[in-house]
Amino acid sequence: MSLVLEIANLAKTYPNGVRALRDVSLTIPTGMFGLLGPNGAGKSTLMRTVATLQEPDEGTITMGGLDVLKEKEEVRKILGYLPQEFGVYPKVTAQAMLNHMAVLKGITGRGDRKDAVEGLLHQTNLWAVRKTKLGTFSGGMRQRFGIAQALLGDPRLIIVDEPTAGLDPEERLRFLNLLSEIGQNIVVILSTHIVEDVSDLCSAMAIISEGQVLLTGTPGDAMGELSGKVWRKVIQKEDLTSHQETYQVISTHLWAGKTVLHVYAESLPDEGFEAVEGDLKDVYFTTLKRADQPVAA
Amino acid sequence: MFLEIFRFELRHQFRQPLFWLSAMLFFLLAFGAVTTDVVQLGGAIGNVNRNAPFVIMQTLLIMSILGVFVTTAFVASPILRDFESRTDGLFFSTPMTKFDYLLGRFSGAFVSSIVIFLSIALAIMVGSAMPWLEPERVGPFLLAPYAYGMAVIVIPNVLLMSAMSFSMATLTRSMMGTYGAVVAFFVAYVTAGTLLSDLENESLASLLDPFGAAAFGLATRYWTMAERNAALLPLEGPLLNNRLLWMGVAIAILAFAYFRFSFTASATKRHKKRAKEEVAEKLPTKPTRVAVQPVFTMASSFTQFLHQTRFEVLTMVKGAAFPIILVLGAFNLIGNSLVLDQIFGTPVYPVTHLMIQMIGGSFLLFVIIILTFYAGEIVWRDRGLLMADVHDAVPAPNWVYWGAKLIALFTVVLSVLAVSIVTAIGVQLAKGYTHLELGLYFKGIMLQAGAPFLLIAVLAIFFQVMSNNKYLGFLLMVLFFIAQPVLAALDFNHNLYLYAGAPAAPYSDMNGFGHFVKPVVWFYTYWTFAAGILVVSSHLFWVRGQSTGLGARMSLARHRLSKPVIWALTIAVIGFAGTGSYIFYNTNILNEYLPPDALQERQTRFEKSYKKFEGIPQPRITAVYTEVDIFPEERAVDIRGTYSLRNKTDVAIDSLHVFLNPQVELESISVPGASLELEDAELGYRIYRFTEPMEPGAELELDFTLAIRNPGFRNNGSNTQVVGNGTFLNSAQYFPHIGYSRQPELGDPVERRRRDLPEIQRMASINDESARLDNYISSESDWLDFEAVVSTSADQIALAPGYLVDEHEENGRKYFHYKMDAPILGFWAFLSARWEVRRDKWNDVDIAVYFHPDHDYNIDRMIYAVKRSLDYYTEEFGPYQHRQLRILEFPRYARFAQSFPNTIPFSESFGFITRFDDEDEIDYVFYVTAHEVAHQWWAHQVIGGNMQGSTIMSETMSQYSALMVMEREYGPEKMRRFLEYELNSYLRGRGGELIEELPLLLVENQGYIHYRKGSLVTYALKDYVGEQTLNEAFARYVEAVKFQEPPYTTALEYLDFVREVVPEDRAYIIEDLFETITLYEYEATDATYEPTDDGRFRVLLTVDSKKFRADGEGTETEIPVDDWVDVAVFGERGDDDPPEGKVLFMEKRHVTDAESVFEFIVDEEPHKAGIDPFHKLVDRNPSNNMTNVSVVEDG
Repeated sequence: MSLVLEIANLAKTYPNGVRALRDVSLTIPTGMFGLLGPNGAGKSTLMRTVATLQEPDEGTITMGGLDVLKEKEEVRKILGYLPQEFGVYPKVTAQAMLNHMAVLKGITGRGDRKDAVEGLLHQTNLWAVRKTKLGTFSGGMRQRFGIAQALLGDPRLIIVDEPTAGLDPEERLRFLNLLSEIGQNIVVILSTHIVEDVSDLCSAMAIISEGQVLLTGTPGDAMGELSGKVWRKVIQKEDLTSHQETYQVISTHLWAGKTVLHVYAESLPDEGFEAVEGDLKDVYFTTLKRADQPVAA
Repeated sequence: MFLEIFRFELRHQFRQPLFWLSAMLFFLLAFGAVTTDVVQLGGAIGNVNRNAPFVIMQTLLIMSILGVFVTTAFVASPILRDFESRTDGLFFSTPMTKFDYLLGRFSGAFVSSIVIFLSIALAIMVGSAMPWLEPERVGPFLLAPYAYGMAVIVIPNVLLMSAMSFSMATLTRSMMGTYGAVVAFFVAYVTAGTLLSDLENESLASLLDPFGAAAFGLATRYWTMAERNAALLPLEGPLLNNRLLWMGVAIAILAFAYFRFSFTASATKRHKKRAKEEVAEKLPTKPTRVAVQPVFTMASSFTQFLHQTRFEVLTMVKGAAFPIILVLGAFNLIGNSLVLDQIFGTPVYPVTHLMIQMIGGSFLLFVIIILTFYAGEIVWRDRGLLMADVHDAVPAPNWVYWGAKLIALFTVVLSVLAVSIVTAIGVQLAKGYTHLELGLYFKGIMLQAGAPFLLIAVLAIFFQVMSNNKYLGFLLMVLFFIAQPVLAALDFNHNLYLYAGAPAAPYSDMNGFGHFVKPVVWFYTYWTFAAGILVVSSHLFWVRGQSTGLGARMSLARHRLSKPVIWALTIAVIGFAGTGSYIFYNTNILNEYLPPDALQERQTRFEKSYKKFEGIPQPRITAVYTEVDIFPEERAVDIRGTYSLRNKTDVAIDSLHVFLNPQVELESISVPGASLELEDAELGYRIYRFTEPMEPGAELELDFTLAIRNPGFRNNGSNTQVVGNGTFLNSAQYFPHIGYSRQPELGDPVERRRRDLPEIQRMASINDESARLDNYISSESDWLDFEAVVSTSADQIALAPGYLVDEHEENGRKYFHYKMDAPILGFWAFLSARWEVRRDKWNDVDIAVYFHPDHDYNIDRMIYAVKRSLDYYTEEFGPYQHRQLRILEFPRYARFAQSFPNTIPFSESFGFITRFDDEDEIDYVFYVTAHEVAHQWWAHQVIGGNMQGSTIMSETMSQYSALMVMEREYGPEKMRRFLEYELNSYLRGRGGELIEELPLLLVENQGYIHYRKGSLVTYALKDYVGEQTLNEAFARYVEAVKFQEPPYTTALEYLDFVREVVPEDRAYIIEDLFETITLYEYEATDATYEPTDDGRFRVLLTVDSKKFRADGEGTETEIPVDDWVDVAVFGERGDDDPPEGKVLFMEKRHVTDAESVFEFIVDEEPHKAGIDPFHKLVDRNPSNNMTNVSVVEDG
């Protein structure tokens, strides 16, 4: 069964006036879906809403005939959720906790549960530390434990919210490897502010900022649109301001003490620029910049 | 830097809603205490001003103890906040010093706590200015008591508790740990308080009490109204020491925390241990079967529930607080059991029901605190650990979560109870008591403790869920516990609306739980259904995820109203309504529900309508014949009776007034030759008008039929006098009275004023000759003939005053016919129970004790006391008028013994289970028995008029008689210990006086005067006059007045007989002891000795003497000293000597100066010397009467 998650016209304003979601509509197909956006874009609100933990002000979410907002109990039966921030009982071992979560996820048969828990411990590479108390886990181990519990009970919808934030490169890689093994027939939503997470893993994506969807599509299509329009130049730090005034700067970063500039332009803007293949980062920053300065675009 | 941190902290605290909530709560509590009688804190009773210095100080003191939990939150939070919000790293890496940080935070929090307490002072100030207060109860505004209270009481207490919580917070870094320590401290405090409550420990107790409450109590315990209204507590002695000690402790604790605290400790601690990443990890993972399909059925939900419950329970049990709570609970219990039900310091057998009562009593507050905090903890734990989102998105139904948490909370309650039962059994065994009643433990715990605790657990969870704010949840619990007594005080006391409320279910060995079980079970069933509704509501509003807005929660709740939920809710509501209706039918329809104000209204109406008839000429009862059928199983009594009435006045009487307690049904009454003129069944007043007035000397017979019924059950105050086993009913309450009766009058002076009633009518003056026409027992009869036939169930014995002339069985019931051979006063009683009887004989007097078969511990002791009493009284005062004397045990619903002619009902709790292992204990069983036997002379032979002073001839003389029998039996040493208790009770009693303290001669039925002061006065009198001489005077008095018809004797006549035997130079003692309130203050200031040439010792003793006269409010005037007082020298103590040592010299000396020096020559080396060493005179500081004797160095 192939399922599609349909999000339509979702809006949410918090009591303090922050508009976390404004008319968000998304169609999320099976496979890995990347939800990219800066901190505070509304990603977590969206994730939690899909994960039955929050009520939107307006809008609907459906999945294969299931009204996600109304039939929470049913949704939870097919849901695997790894929140952005989550804690553990520090004095409980990984295996015990996973076992307990398995029961709560409905795997009540003893044999089934043993299989599932042990399988997941292997899969997430936590087997060797299964008897270790969760309180002593490193960030990466904790995230892997988090994905293990999310995978319990053969979920059809998996939501992982900013799972790689705060992980060191090695841990992040390990985590992404793990995610990539998750079946392709289910909906996996990965929210992140790290572009590489999406480019490495996702077949479809959306960029969201200030509660609005700025872009949807596949990473390939998005990058294709930028093809031949991204230019790179290495400049002195002092020249940055003047360049920013002159060109449509996508991003800057430091490289060996000098500033590397990515600029958007239909054609070569100037001597000293060289063409580069636009990557997803450029797509991301371009999209964000455009949203910021709609007039300039 | 310090100032900046301090200001930051202060600003932070002032922004906290909790701060304002607490300040408001404290303000309201104190305001309520000052302006109403609903909240009782400061001891503003009687005529003590509502803003008296004493009240201000005591209010601040009590609030500073209650405020401990608030202080903890305030002071612990600044430290914990940094750890919880992980800002510790941020702060600790700045260049500020440890001193600035810790002291800044501490001072800020400490000052804000003090501000909260200022709201109490403010509340008293504002409260005492409220216009609705009676102006006579408001004193002038004085700033000093507030300043004193804050400086001496509040600030040191808050400092100590702040220092403790702050240190615990810095060391444990956990709120639970901090609260655990505070609770531990509190329990230890309460336990220590109980342990040290004995008289002999008071100075130690007052030093060790960290809040200074014991020191405050010790210093003010004897304060009279006048002192409470005016005096500030001098900062000296135990109070000063106490304050200094604990301020020192506080600073030491702070210093300890300061040195232990380290900025870096947290970082290393948090990252100390890390699991090692496994090497194997790099290997490719092998595919396994993880895609297990979940199952969602009722059965799987139940499995989830079991797992979650196990998880919650284990988490709780493994928590650090849990074992601490259990251990503390056990200690608390052991502490309380050490002083279990002591009277005069004498213990009782640790019977099971007393242990249960103790568990219920000592755990209530404890369990409430635990439940409140645990409920907050358990509901918020997942959110605190950021586990909530994971758990909330899981397909387990809500009830799995709250159900598990509820069970975990139940586990805490049940564990505490289980541990307390085990501890209680341990205590019993340790005390060598092996009659273990496990069934009774179970039943008793459920009836008296368990059920309400479980119901409160549900409520605590409910509050946490509904408020969705931990602290608001706490606050709601606090409000709940305040609301219960406040509502009750506002006359809303029906258990149908007081959550978890049920009537009390007292236990008696004789009657078990008796008829109390049924209402309690009904009420708890009713509240269980209510708890069911709360549980369903918790289910509906259980928060998952971020849906915390009201609208979202409402719509979610609507969504969650599934079929099973609706079913559960319906069942709970129907059960609630059904049981509620049945209870209402019982309490309000079968019985009358009278809230206190309605009852007071009725009392007011009675007095306003009928008081005008008081004192009108009425015939008197000269004989009573009655047939009383007791039906213990139905708790019903049928009474048929005949009063013989005679017009003893010299005027014709035109109408007969009859009052009968409206609780008793009057089935018929016939007044010959009269017609009913007025019938007020609600108030029980009836007037019959004679067609022909009743001429002086005329007689008539009044026949009546009464019924006492106890249908169904009542909301509270169920009848404990007519019960399954141990019925004890008296004529005052259940028989008709001739003429107006003061019995229903409203006594509370405040309520009287509120209801426009005049000040309560005091006793007639001792000079009022007309008052001598009635005796103080009864104004409707003098001496009367008494005969009764009492029947009861076949397995019980029924008793009434008189001699058994016939006993037979008929229709499965037993009949006992009693006839009195000597005239008796107008007060009689009937009893019925399944007793065992022990008989004995003293000369030709039959002695019998009727007792509960399990209670044979002290029966022989009672019989012995009866014999010794009869010996003494017949020898000294005259013959005993009866041929028989019976003691009858009745259930412990009341604690007293009461003397009827030849019949003494004696409470189960007043000596039947008293344990005399130690020969040093005060034998109060002997004392009470002797006192009651003495009443056969002092009351049943000599009875005073209905006026001031008359209780001297009954109560004071019974005290004196009992003292003499006791002294003869146990020696003067024991008497001294007994009299110490009496002195303490008297002096304390003065402080509790509501109206006016009177000299003994004018006593108006005030117990602390006629019993307690009476003991002291008569014992001192005996010391001045000599036992033999005094008794001869008493015997002459008895002979002169016994069985006299009106006019009855008075205390003035009594005193004339006493005066005759007082030597002329000691005549002043009559004035000191009887006619005035006189207080002495003796102090031995110095004593030295030097050896004389003939090998003896010359002792010089310097003594300060003062003497005061007090008025009725306690205002004292110093008067010149002109007294004969014992002065004494003691040597080394031998085995038979008093505790002071061997008496080397003791003599009454004439003391006339404020400072006097005495010189004695004694044969042995003196150790101690002093004045009034045996405390025969009323002295508030008896401990300074003695001093050590030091040798004078040759120089």
